[in-house]
Amino acid sequence: MSTVTVFLRSSLIALGSMIFLNGCSSPSDENNIPAETPEAKPAPSLYIVQIEQMKFLPADITVHSGDTIMWVNNDIVAHDITEEKNKSWSSSLLQPGKSWKLVPKSSADYYCSIHAVMKGSFEVK
Amino acid sequence: MKRINIFTATVFALGICAFMPSTKSFAQSSTKLTDPEIASVAVVANQNDIGFATIAKKKSTNKDILQFAQTMATDHQSVIDQATALVKKLGVTPKDNAVSKKLLSDAGNTKKMLSSKSGDAFNKAYIDNEVSYHKAVIDEVGNVLIPDATNKDLKDLLQKVLPILKTHLEHAEMLQKKFNQ
Ligand SMILES: [Cu+2]
Repeated sequence: MSTVTVFLRSSLIALGSMIFLNGCSSPSDENNIPAETPEAKPAPSLYIVQIEQMKFLPADITVHSGDTIMWVNNDIVAHDITEEKNKSWSSSLLQPGKSWKLVPKSSADYYCSIHAVMKGSFEVK
Repeated sequence: MKRINIFTATVFALGICAFMPSTKSFAQSSTKLTDPEIASVAVVANQNDIGFATIAKKKSTNKDILQFAQTMATDHQSVIDQATALVKKLGVTPKDNAVSKKLLSDAGNTKKMLSSKSGDAFNKAYIDNEVSYHKAVIDEVGNVLIPDATNKDLKDLLQKVLPILKTHLEHAEMLQKKFNQ
């Protein structure tokens, strides 16, 4: 943003012409739009997966790179969140009322290693 | 097998053979259980499964069985802790009754049966019993304890316990398939 603004200002000052300024008002506005939002990338979001009645809710979600997923254990027993295929990552034991966050780098199927029938997945786009 | 024993014993004692697949598997009569009696049944039912898990941890070397037994011990203890806290809060003393006594004596027989086995025969007997025991307890909680409970907090706790039992049953059935292959 600063580079573009400085460039525009210096060109305008150098030319010093009101006519030119008026004539250039449209293209300069256009130039300013992308300058205000440097990248068209949305801000990172937080996704919450509730653990309730022995289920991950929602069980399958889609997130974007940089987003955070937070699992909240609302059950009266402990759970964990473990990558299913290679056990490449796992939360520690998640006691009732506790939560755990992950900023996933790649898509994964996960399960609870304590209750092997509890399963979920996320896709990272 | 164990489930049939529980059923037949109850059914023949009552002489209601026509109701063989009765939903009231442990029920000795149609008398409603009081809240202190329900609390006692709940605690005994959970303690029994911890007892089976303790035997499995001593006797089995199978990774899946050991892990499952640990889950049973941990989860059923969590339920007992919640029930104990609730009973304290409500100022209720669990009262033993025909259902809790029967649960306890049946578990005694099951423990003897499990203790007499070893190796794969033990693993199979343990997991078969976990399947039938959880089915029977789900039945009891869903069809007797929840409908009979009058205190809302007690009812709510039992309702939270039901999905735990169902997940244990699914997990046990998954392992049972492995052992029967
Ligand atoms: Cu779990």
